[in-house]
Amino acid sequence: MAPYPGSDADYFKDKARRDLLTLLEGVRGKKNLVVSQDLAGPVGLFVKFSLLQEYGVDRVFLLENANVDSSQRNVVFLVHAEKTRQVRTVADQIKRLQRNGNVEHEFSIFWVPRRTLVSNAILEDAGIIGDVNIAELPVYFIPLEQDVLSLELEDSFSDLYLHKDPGCVYLAAKALMGIQQRHGYFPRIIGKGDNARRLADLLLRMRKELDAEESSGLTDLSARGLLPSADTESLIIIDREVDFGSALLTQLTYEGLIDETVGIKHNQADVDTAIVGPTPVPQAQESSKAPQQTSKQGQKRKIQLDASDQLFSQLRDANFAIVGDILNKVARRLESDYESRHTAKTTTELREFVNKLPTYQLEHQSLRVHTNLAEEIMRNTRSDIFRKILEVQQNNAAGADPTYQHDSVEELIARDVPLKTVLRLLCLESCMAGGLRPRDLENFKRQIIHAYGHQHLLTFSALEKMELLQPRSSATAMLLPTTGTQPGSKTNYGYLRKNLRLVVEEVSEKDPNDIAYVYSGFAPLSVRLVQCVLQKPYVLSLIRGGSVAASASPSPASTASPGWLGFEDLVKSARGATFSIVQKGDDKAIRARQTLSGNNATKTVYVFFLGGITFTEIAALRFIAEQEAPRRKIVICTTSIINGDKMMDAAIEKQDFTKTE
Amino acid sequence: MAPSNPLANWERLGDSFYRKVPIYDAIFDEDVELENYIVAGAPYGGALALHRDDTKPYRFRDAQTAKSSIGIYSSSGKLINRLNWEHGTIRGLGWSDKEELLVITEDGTVRRYFGLYGDFTSFSLGNGAEEYGVRACRFWTSGFVALLSNNQLVAVSNYDEPRPKLLAHCPEGEVSSWSLIPPAFTLSRSVEVLLAVDKTVYLVDPTEAEDKVLQNGPFKHASVSPTGRFVALITAEGKVWVVSSDFQSKYSEYDPESRVTPRTVDWCGDDAVVIAWEDEVHLIGPNGVAARYYYDGIVHVVPEFDGVRLITHDTCEFLHKVTDVTEAIFRLGSTSPASVLLDSIDLLEKKSPKADENIQRIRSSLPEAVDICVRAAGHEFDAYWQKRLLKAASFGKSVLDLYNSDDFVEMTEKLRVLKAVRDYQIGLPISYDQYMRLTPEKLIERLVNRHEYLLAIKISEYLQIPADRIYVHWASQKVKVSTVDDEAVCKLIVQRLDGKPGISFELIAQAAYDEGRAHLATQLLNHEPRAGKQVPLLLNMEEDEIALDKAIESGDNDLVNYVLLRLKSKLPLASFFRMINTRPMASALVETTARGDDTELLKDLYYQDDRPIDGSNVLLSEALSQTELPSKTEKLHLASRLLVDSKDATVVLQQKLLSEASQLLKVQEALDKDIADRSEFVGLSLNETIYRLIRSGYGKRAQKLQSEFKMPDKTYWWLRLRALVAKRDWGELEEIGRNKKSPIGWEPFYNEILGAGNTKLASFFVPKCTNLPVEDKVEMWVKCGMIVKAGEEAFRAKDFNTLELLRTRASGPAVADIDRMINQLRPRK
Repeated sequence: MAPYPGSDADYFKDKARRDLLTLLEGVRGKKNLVVSQDLAGPVGLFVKFSLLQEYGVDRVFLLENANVDSSQRNVVFLVHAEKTRQVRTVADQIKRLQRNGNVEHEFSIFWVPRRTLVSNAILEDAGIIGDVNIAELPVYFIPLEQDVLSLELEDSFSDLYLHKDPGCVYLAAKALMGIQQRHGYFPRIIGKGDNARRLADLLLRMRKELDAEESSGLTDLSARGLLPSADTESLIIIDREVDFGSALLTQLTYEGLIDETVGIKHNQADVDTAIVGPTPVPQAQESSKAPQQTSKQGQKRKIQLDASDQLFSQLRDANFAIVGDILNKVARRLESDYESRHTAKTTTELREFVNKLPTYQLEHQSLRVHTNLAEEIMRNTRSDIFRKILEVQQNNAAGADPTYQHDSVEELIARDVPLKTVLRLLCLESCMAGGLRPRDLENFKRQIIHAYGHQHLLTFSALEKMELLQPRSSATAMLLPTTGTQPGSKTNYGYLRKNLRLVVEEVSEKDPNDIAYVYSGFAPLSVRLVQCVLQKPYVLSLIRGGSVAASASPSPASTASPGWLGFEDLVKSARGATFSIVQKGDDKAIRARQTLSGNNATKTVYVFFLGGITFTEIAALRFIAEQEAPRRKIVICTTSIINGDKMMDAAIEKQDFTKTE
Repeated sequence: MAPSNPLANWERLGDSFYRKVPIYDAIFDEDVELENYIVAGAPYGGALALHRDDTKPYRFRDAQTAKSSIGIYSSSGKLINRLNWEHGTIRGLGWSDKEELLVITEDGTVRRYFGLYGDFTSFSLGNGAEEYGVRACRFWTSGFVALLSNNQLVAVSNYDEPRPKLLAHCPEGEVSSWSLIPPAFTLSRSVEVLLAVDKTVYLVDPTEAEDKVLQNGPFKHASVSPTGRFVALITAEGKVWVVSSDFQSKYSEYDPESRVTPRTVDWCGDDAVVIAWEDEVHLIGPNGVAARYYYDGIVHVVPEFDGVRLITHDTCEFLHKVTDVTEAIFRLGSTSPASVLLDSIDLLEKKSPKADENIQRIRSSLPEAVDICVRAAGHEFDAYWQKRLLKAASFGKSVLDLYNSDDFVEMTEKLRVLKAVRDYQIGLPISYDQYMRLTPEKLIERLVNRHEYLLAIKISEYLQIPADRIYVHWASQKVKVSTVDDEAVCKLIVQRLDGKPGISFELIAQAAYDEGRAHLATQLLNHEPRAGKQVPLLLNMEEDEIALDKAIESGDNDLVNYVLLRLKSKLPLASFFRMINTRPMASALVETTARGDDTELLKDLYYQDDRPIDGSNVLLSEALSQTELPSKTEKLHLASRLLVDSKDATVVLQQKLLSEASQLLKVQEALDKDIADRSEFVGLSLNETIYRLIRSGYGKRAQKLQSEFKMPDKTYWWLRLRALVAKRDWGELEEIGRNKKSPIGWEPFYNEILGAGNTKLASFFVPKCTNLPVEDKVEMWVKCGMIVKAGEEAFRAKDFNTLELLRTRASGPAVADIDRMINQLRPRK
């Protein structure tokens, strides 16, 4: 019954591709394309280079390399207009090319996602605004998967929490307006956290402004203004700040661990060829038997990690503990499939087998890649240091007295493990326990600065600004169950751990019955909060102390108690504002729509993680989605994919005292 | 009044018919000598701009009337506005499809008049237009091309952000005529120009000028058909050629048998060419057939996409191809079902039973007949025939059981609108097809431009189109012309617009501000619901503080940044800081931008805000980016000095660590000097320094550093262990192993040394790990390859099972040893 066919993901992907190609088409002839680093990846998600070539793109340059040359008359810049620094770089490069003078260049700039006043001002100051064609490419959401829409703003985390720059909130609001314009208003907006509140306010304001712009007091309102959507249930906004803790833990799902060890960017991982073998060469070349190239150390191979790889979709959200088993099973199945050629008697059977061969080969390849990858990760997870780190994390998460872990942390510092790892542990402790004792903090500060350099004084001040690493304000504050110093200024993990059953010891990794499986026994608070909205009976039964097994199958959720109802008091202990807003429309129209659509249709819930989401949380949300399957669909939206390391990267000072000559 | 003959003015041209519909008569006043004027008509039946042709001789007049001006008339001859012109020679006069008048002067200045009442923006063509001068201009719906006297072509394809662009360089020679193909119809998606030079024609686009290699020039006229598919040329011999726009094929040739070159060549739709002399018009159809019209006075041709408007002193006529539906009905002797249906109306009125007979006869094709009648009604200009056709449709409809009347109803709506705007008082002789293409919204815009507010609102209500723009335009006009005081105007406007959502008060306020009524503008702005919209105007009005607040309210960081940028360059620093101080979002954004490019501002900000740590951090990061050591230390010194006075514990620590940093740098500098080693110490962390010292064998110095910087023993031991292992200094490690106690225990020693591959030395540390459980120790021994030792360990713990296990892993003489131990342990029964 949806008025527009196709999922959001397909729709946004298509739209982005179309928009970009139309713009490129508008620039006549061959052109060189200059893309900023932070856009190159996302653009690759919706358009292939070969397609760009068809539209006249000759070569692609990275803005940061500043090496665009005069080989083509037309130069097209594709850059974020929100970042003043990038805008300046564009201006500089245009001026440089103009000075070269051999070629009369024709410049076009496509600002993503919108043309800003500041960018105009900068180009005007540079005196080139009259010489360039300016257009905007309104790409907000970039679909990573069918159920994951990301703004792919890499800096959103540091912008939001370190620099307190709410730019990405505004962009998020714009993006969500895009969804609303497609489906109608979210009937309800539920959220947690101060920035989430800001986002919701922006959404309300934008709706009002849209109403003001569109309708004109004529009789037929429904023809123009938007109505509450019939196929959307609600929007849930979770501010990352509400739950820094979960993101700081080492992720234990397969995809999460890949992200932790090799890193995943825009659905791709750069893996050493020594681990996964070189890129498969097309058959023709292989048969020529060229001298076997030994895979050189340091060569990287890009591995596509998305739903197009069937095996990977099976593995990605599983706890790493069982990945080995799955791989084994698949290997055995493949082998037996392969063996079936011997049993094939008739020619038809044989033909069937041959037809399936390419699929087998594809599967085989992916199996090899993932087995190698899993082994590499295993090597890492078996190491002494990894186990120590995990132990500290698990103890912190479980709420054990953190001071017992300090020796381990100190040892890790002395053993020179990467700074990120150490800082993650300290920040985790600070988040979970409401700060470190001032004496301990001072001690660690000194040790880390000695071990990693004095420039990290800046790192610490950044972490403090982000409220990731803080001295405990008063010794007893967090030990009292319900009251923090001011309720809502910090997330009280101690209280929530108990009352929302964040620690579930007996969770099975193989056959998970609670989201806690993703961290092998710890349920990420952020997702538990989502459950408080979507799966009330289940969470209630958990709290009442029933074992997980008893309450394993969540009874059909009643939508009778919407929003935070029933959990208001609990949720107060998490940081930031709590809200649940009903977007009202014309009652009559809603009812009409409802009768039209019927009540049993699948309703979509949008879950927006402001400030970033981890792969583990995505896995947990998918777990919920599966349980809610026929009644609800969950679409995960976020500003970017993050993990603990990226959070630390935002704070860590990159320069050091080495003489730079 | 007797109905006009529907066949009046039909003219057969090959297979199809053309007709000339008179729309208005008695157009121009007697004193307008049309032959002396350049006439440019806006598309879609829009306004006409008349300008006295300078090349024509003047009759002597008094100074007042001789003053140069541009008259804007409606097609019915009503003077809408007169623009005084004293800006030089006009080289181009044309319209955009938004009915904006464009006037291009010889020196390359372009004036764009919007709204017909003299508001304009202007820009310059540049690209040498000033030196060489503009010769002529050609227009299309959203842009124009100017031909300079040096044969350069300058194209402007967007009036909102005009960006004059040079097209490819053209060949020398006399341009005898030229024309353009609008971007929508070219392959290159950019405007292309046909330039008749000497004997041939060049096709010029932004990148190249292509010679089409023709022989029959010089061509005196070139004209491109509305869809850009055909070109009409007048050859040197005065013949009319119609060729495809790629010059590959010639479709027809026509000889007008006239020695005088026609004044204009235009297209009438896509199938016929209209050539006009002073008082004669030829309409040339496919295959060179032609119809001729003669006039008493001069005739001006205004091309439309579906026909031409012919303007003479007394009449305004519309010459166009008769549509298929109209032809099917009215053609002499037509027996089409629709024609029969129309006839039955007459019979019906005469109460003749034949009406029904007719209907029955065409029964099978009745729905189609009804459709055709409805559509033909649209193309009719005469209300009598419109009614007649609709009546026929209605009659046919009533006979049908099932018929979707939407088209019929819509047509009646459209016809009502068309009738209203075609009235001579309004003077928009728009055809049905033009109306469809222009869209109702744009039509209303045109009415608004003519200040026909009432009609505009009536139409928009009738068609259910947002009327907010009309109100805003009205209000802006009110603001401009009213002379009463601000309060009264504001009250009046707010009252009138009350309850009408979507009103952009910002635009009205802008109009007020442009009129110099700042107070009124502020008052009006208060009614604007969209915060963001108010900001630019507020900035212009120097209402800085309100602008900043509104920008923050809108949540748009770009807007806030923009306001801040403007304010920073405008205000003294102190008041700038004061302004952002109380607004956290603003100060955060200032900090972010300043961090990138203006650290001095940042320092000032922190100083004013009394944030010593932040201030010293700026200096610290400056220290990091210095290249020379002395300047690094100096910055560090400055950074630490900022913190000296404070008593706060964190500040004190910060200060201590900062001075420690410079101390470390000093030490490292000395090390670099003293130790003639390739290792560079400067810039390393303390731990790395010590590690490297030990690894290079400077244990003493390392120890000195440890005490100097009060490094905990544990850390130091770890560093020493790792450094010595890296150095493979087994002797030293063994020496350390002779100590009684280690602050980090002995297990790390075992692990690290084993990891480095020295099992022998590793085994040395196993017995020292006294506090480990037996199983671990057994495992440790085994890892060193010492099964026997492991066995002894197990033996001491009387662990029988482990021994059994060990035996399976043992080989050589070790087997015997393990066996012996097993035997000893075996319970003596």
